[in-house]
Amino acid sequence: MSIGLLAQYVINGMMLGMMYALVAVGFTLFFGVLDVIKFSHGDLVTGGAFAGLAIYSFLEHIDGGGTWWITLVVAIAAASSMAVLGAVIGRFLVLPLRSAPSLNTLLITLMAGTVVRESIRLFYPGGSQPHRFPGLLGARAFQIGSLTLRLDNIVLLATGGLLIVGMHLIITRTRLGLAIRAVAQDEETARTSGINFERMVLLTFALGSVLAGIAGVMNGLYYNEINFGMGLLLGVIGFSSAIIGGLGNMYGAILGGFLFAALQTIGAVALPFASAYKDVFAFAAVIVFMAWRPTGLIGERVSERV
Amino acid sequence: MPAAISRGRVSASAVAAVFAAGAALFLAVESQRGMLALLLAAGALVVAIRRLKGLRPFLQAASEHEETGALAGVAFTLLLCVLFRDDHFTVFLIGRVLLATLACLGLHLQFGSAGVANFAGAAFFGVGGYTAAILSAHSPIPHIVAVALGGAVSSLIGSLLLLPLLRTRGHYAALITIAFGLLFRTFAEVNDSLGGPQGLKLQGFQLFGWQFNEELAIGPFHGSFYINYVIAAVALLAIAFALVRGLDRSWLGLALDAVRLDETAAAAFGLEIARWKIVAFTLGNFLIGTAGALSAFMVGFIAPNNFTFAESLTFVSIVLLGGIGNAWGVALAAFIVVVLPEKLQILQEYRFLLFAALVIVVLRYRPQGLVPRPLRRYFRGLA
Amino acid sequence: MSASPTLLSCRDLSRRFGGLLAIDRLSFDVAEGEILGLIGPNGSGKTTFFNVLTGIYPASGGSVEFAGARVTGLRPQQIYRVGISRTFQRSRLCLPLSVFDNIMVGNHSRLDHGPWLNLFHRAGLRRQVSENFAEARELIQVFNRSLADRMLEAVGGISLIDRRRIEICRAMISRPRLLLLDEPSAGMTREETSRLMDDILEVKRRFGRLTIVLIEHEMSVIERCTDRCVVLDYGKKLCEGTYAQVAQNPLVRQAYLGIS
Repeated sequence: MSIGLLAQYVINGMMLGMMYALVAVGFTLFFGVLDVIKFSHGDLVTGGAFAGLAIYSFLEHIDGGGTWWITLVVAIAAASSMAVLGAVIGRFLVLPLRSAPSLNTLLITLMAGTVVRESIRLFYPGGSQPHRFPGLLGARAFQIGSLTLRLDNIVLLATGGLLIVGMHLIITRTRLGLAIRAVAQDEETARTSGINFERMVLLTFALGSVLAGIAGVMNGLYYNEINFGMGLLLGVIGFSSAIIGGLGNMYGAILGGFLFAALQTIGAVALPFASAYKDVFAFAAVIVFMAWRPTGLIGERVSERV
Repeated sequence: MPAAISRGRVSASAVAAVFAAGAALFLAVESQRGMLALLLAAGALVVAIRRLKGLRPFLQAASEHEETGALAGVAFTLLLCVLFRDDHFTVFLIGRVLLATLACLGLHLQFGSAGVANFAGAAFFGVGGYTAAILSAHSPIPHIVAVALGGAVSSLIGSLLLLPLLRTRGHYAALITIAFGLLFRTFAEVNDSLGGPQGLKLQGFQLFGWQFNEELAIGPFHGSFYINYVIAAVALLAIAFALVRGLDRSWLGLALDAVRLDETAAAAFGLEIARWKIVAFTLGNFLIGTAGALSAFMVGFIAPNNFTFAESLTFVSIVLLGGIGNAWGVALAAFIVVVLPEKLQILQEYRFLLFAALVIVVLRYRPQGLVPRPLRRYFRGLA
Repeated sequence: MSASPTLLSCRDLSRRFGGLLAIDRLSFDVAEGEILGLIGPNGSGKTTFFNVLTGIYPASGGSVEFAGARVTGLRPQQIYRVGISRTFQRSRLCLPLSVFDNIMVGNHSRLDHGPWLNLFHRAGLRRQVSENFAEARELIQVFNRSLADRMLEAVGGISLIDRRRIEICRAMISRPRLLLLDEPSAGMTREETSRLMDDILEVKRRFGRLTIVLIEHEMSVIERCTDRCVVLDYGKKLCEGTYAQVAQNPLVRQAYLGIS
């Protein structure tokens, strides 16, 4: 295999890993803060992509400047709309079910995700068909030997990286991050320290959903196409990645995301004749891994007091 | 005592009769308006029954005579077939309801008894169907055995998935089954030995010379060939029901409940958590796979399109709507979920959305579902 | 009380949680048939000891022997099967299940779980259910006569004090050799506590062979009901002996009262 092809696979893998990591961090944030699996998360990625597309369709008629400006608006629209949706789901569906068995929360968020997904399919014009996502980042590319580097990929990678670093900084350097970590560690202590538990939980949900929304736009920019079912598999992969890294651990989630992408890439390289099987391979590897290390690479947060 | 027992038996039969009558009405109605009127009437009836305190002792007595109610249910179902004997579509619908109930009984065992999440119900249903299709087309194995093997293969694949994971927390089972469900469909589409996107065809079910795909003719009685399948489905369902209820009303059911409600305490009193979850999961998948196998024969073909994640969620919705701890509720919810979209055509397109929204409402405001979980009464007259 | 064989013996038992040593080289014996009180300030490691003993947490060091066999490292299910049963500090009953069901949860070592009996031989099952029902009823009657008529009610609708009694019955129904009671009287008044201890002693008398380790904060209970006690502080054993001996010990007085 030529260096160019190998590098292509690597870049591809990193892109995927980046997107999985963004989704996985959301899952791990929700779990850390409230011990819940918010299965609607993947569908919020779809929501972000379609929200972005909708805004773009609206702005297309307004030629207000360069595509960079529009890209930014699209990203902000996706991020903020999903932040609101994520917080709404948290406020009305997740928080009220805290004392119920955790299976109920899993179920209700799964159904919420279905509502989002089906709503897009039914109510977005032509929702059941794939939609072209505009190539807002341009198509410029440059060659290095046999390797073709696309500018938009580099921008996406950089953006993803910035987001992850940004999240890290928020969590570790700001008062908000401190409050999130306090709430994640112990609800009661956080409350007695004066933290408004519910508000913090909703903020965390919003934050995680921002990542989902942006991941949706990134997905659209990368594949140039979006469809109503894209979030489902992404959600499952994001969840798996979060588990590999150890639920509740942000760095684990990031690591898990890249690991899953690596598994998929290895699968694609090893089985070039059937790309569908790369997912089967990756998931089989995850199952085996979980059998070996159920609490993940870095360790799941155990919360029960006996 | 005899008076109380016969009152109980009569009550149970009466309840079955009311439901059968309701089912007949819902199945017979053709117009959308008639359907809506019927729904309103049903709603009013439910409200009225809950208000009427005087009915309580009768309902209580009915619930203590499940066996009678079940027998009555079987009789009334067959009666429905006689009623609709010339209407292929309606009898087919009845068959679908029965097989959906069978599959969801398996799911109910997994979710409601052991607390193991299974979001690949449709996939296991499909595994059963594909097994039946392949065995009936390529081997001399009698069809009835093929149906049982459909269940067995589902169980086997299920345990392969879950065996390593049942030592750990519940959300892992959820994740793995979701992933399996998603992948099964892709797998079936891509794999040519499973017929690819077109799927596989099945010949009609045969049992000792009784050809299920031929019109039913007993003396002067003629009826749609689907009645044959309904009879088989009723038989399977009756056995499954007896099994599931018997399981619940025994030490086994108690163990499953303990494992579901508090693993730490259950372990402290000697219950092997993984073992019980595996038992429930495997048995549940057996029921699901068997339902899928018979369904494949009834429909005549099997294709990957029928086993999407949305279909799995529909199965889960049935269990949740019906009441996660109540086998009877499963039957009721299966009827609603299968029949309503067929009768209210406007619902067809929106059915996934609507049922998901309905489940959200149920989980939020009435998590015990339409029919609440009864307290375990091992036997009549225990206290 | 002197010539009874040792039932439980722990040597240098330790349990570490990250940087915290919750129990620190604990060594003491429990003689068969005695009631041992385990006392100490909050956080001194009493419940952790129960949790390590019953296999919920693995020991970080040391060993425990029960009836001559080593039990450190066994899983909770195995601990139960050798005859050690417990209650929990935080009530862990299955609220949607009936009183009878909850008590039977504790009885699994004596119930038949074979598929034949449970699914097909219903007459045999009925017999077993009736026998166990009568036995559970008799047991709960010792603690509260009125509960005997509420055996098929959901526990969720029963008062907290009665739930504690039900939980104790759940731990006792399997006739364990060693019973671990973790603050059984939490939430009870003096009078209720006194009655509860009387009831427990009554059951002990009926069973014939029962050894109890009791975590308790109410000193009058310890004084009246226990044969000996062990005092813990910061995970270490301060001293052991009869209540009278232990109450005089200056180290104990310092730990509890701050008197030096």
